[in-house]
Amino acid sequence: MDSASFLARVGDYHKAGWRLALINVTTVIAAPAPPHGAAAEPAAPATDAPTADAAPASQAASVFEIAWAFAKDREFETIREQITVGDAVPSISEFFGAAFLYENEIRELFGINVTGIGLDLQGQLYKTVTKVPFSHQAIKARLAATAAAAAAASAASAAAAEKKA
Amino acid sequence: MKRTVVPFGPQHPVLPEPLVLDLILEDEKVLDAIPTIGYIHRGLEMMVERVEYTEMGFVVERICGICSFMHGMGYCVSLETIMNIEIPERAAWLRLIWAEISRIQSHLLWLGLGADAFGFENLFMHCWRMREQILDIFEKTTGGRIIHSVNRIGGVKRDMSDTELAAILVQLQDLGKQFKKTANVFGTDPSIAHRLGGVGVLSMEDARAVDCVGPMARASGIATDTRLIGANYYDRIELEPVVETAGDCLARVVVRMREIDQSIDIIRQAIDKMPKGEGMPLETKPRGNPMGEVFTRLEQPRGEVLYYVKANGTKNLERFRARTPTFANIPAMIKLVKGCELADVPNIILTIDPCISCTER
Repeated sequence: MDSASFLARVGDYHKAGWRLALINVTTVIAAPAPPHGAAAEPAAPATDAPTADAAPASQAASVFEIAWAFAKDREFETIREQITVGDAVPSISEFFGAAFLYENEIRELFGINVTGIGLDLQGQLYKTVTKVPFSHQAIKARLAATAAAAAAASAASAAAAEKKA
Repeated sequence: MKRTVVPFGPQHPVLPEPLVLDLILEDEKVLDAIPTIGYIHRGLEMMVERVEYTEMGFVVERICGICSFMHGMGYCVSLETIMNIEIPERAAWLRLIWAEISRIQSHLLWLGLGADAFGFENLFMHCWRMREQILDIFEKTTGGRIIHSVNRIGGVKRDMSDTELAAILVQLQDLGKQFKKTANVFGTDPSIAHRLGGVGVLSMEDARAVDCVGPMARASGIATDTRLIGANYYDRIELEPVVETAGDCLARVVVRMREIDQSIDIIRQAIDKMPKGEGMPLETKPRGNPMGEVFTRLEQPRGEVLYYVKANGTKNLERFRARTPTFANIPAMIKLVKGCELADVPNIILTIDPCISCTER
């Protein structure tokens, strides 16, 4: 990401009196294609519920989608960036003092390298058993374990039905 | 002068939930406060990986026992927006009524905890006695006192009859009259004024600088209230944000007391305006799997809550994120604690109405 232009955009929101509402990260994991006909139509933007900007859902491996969300009365806007694992993300603490909490969180839970955090909690914000629980590796491992458990349960169920028959 | 570090929490008489602030003191004055949370981080957002979207609402309700109704509502509204579902009118009104009853319940609970924190146990008992009446209403109308599970994607599970609604309104208006006596004590007792007045002052500029939300912001003169965006039928209600300008602990108490009256009035308006009759549709069944993403904002008792939901056309959501009001108010709390006296720290922390379960999910 281009840090200078990103910070300039954030600075514009700050100058215009917007409030930082959220910094959200999504770990992009290539999802299996939905069954034919099962998917609903994409949501139409609602008048009163602020719908996110239409960002292309990248299926590339090891990508994070980050959304900096700003609110001002009824208005709600986001800045979207996609980064790959290891990319540095600049802190926006210089504009929004409350950003430090979100930034410490995404560093601890997602492993994103946020530089220049206003109040750096040195990895002490959360106490999680799994280190970096929303990393690509951690999510893939959990999904694989869930799929294996479901397959084992299905096989056991089929074997029981066969035995009964 | 020598500096001392005093760990405040995770166990402390005024904290219903674990939170640590390492207070750096010079004599009795707090110079800095370093927060640590994570004692009750349950990873609920992670559960979207194995819990289907139709069942995830029950998990989301359990983020917090005080805002459980509104967490469930926020999740369902998010999915309804993504799936383009319009819920029946009566269901929307019922949600609004339950949401406002939740606000009364939460504020009474907090006022009791606040009174207990500054050593006024009698007030604590009165506030919680009144809160019991609200929990009884919840139990009667939803079947649950804390976890209600009446929200469904597409509407609500249970109806309230028109006679039941009328009786609830009478009960709430009676509670409002009872509460006036309690509010009078909060407003006139000199020991309360001495303990809370002028303590933990957050100016409007500072409140804006740390992006705080809800009663915390309104007590500092910022007329913000997410209900004013008009979603979820709030556009059909006459509503003015409750604003105080002093910005101190007492102002935060007064805002919440006034909001109890406001919520009773909103419920009155809703009962007046909602369609009457028995057997009206309450639910529009969702079809297929959701595909898309949305940010949803609601005004919880503690302030604005924000949900981000991203769905990829499968039964499991790709991402669910809840940014709760306490999370948004922690920077304000840290700002207030810096520079205050050690003895004022408990009251300052409590007046943000912290919910650590919400914060950590």
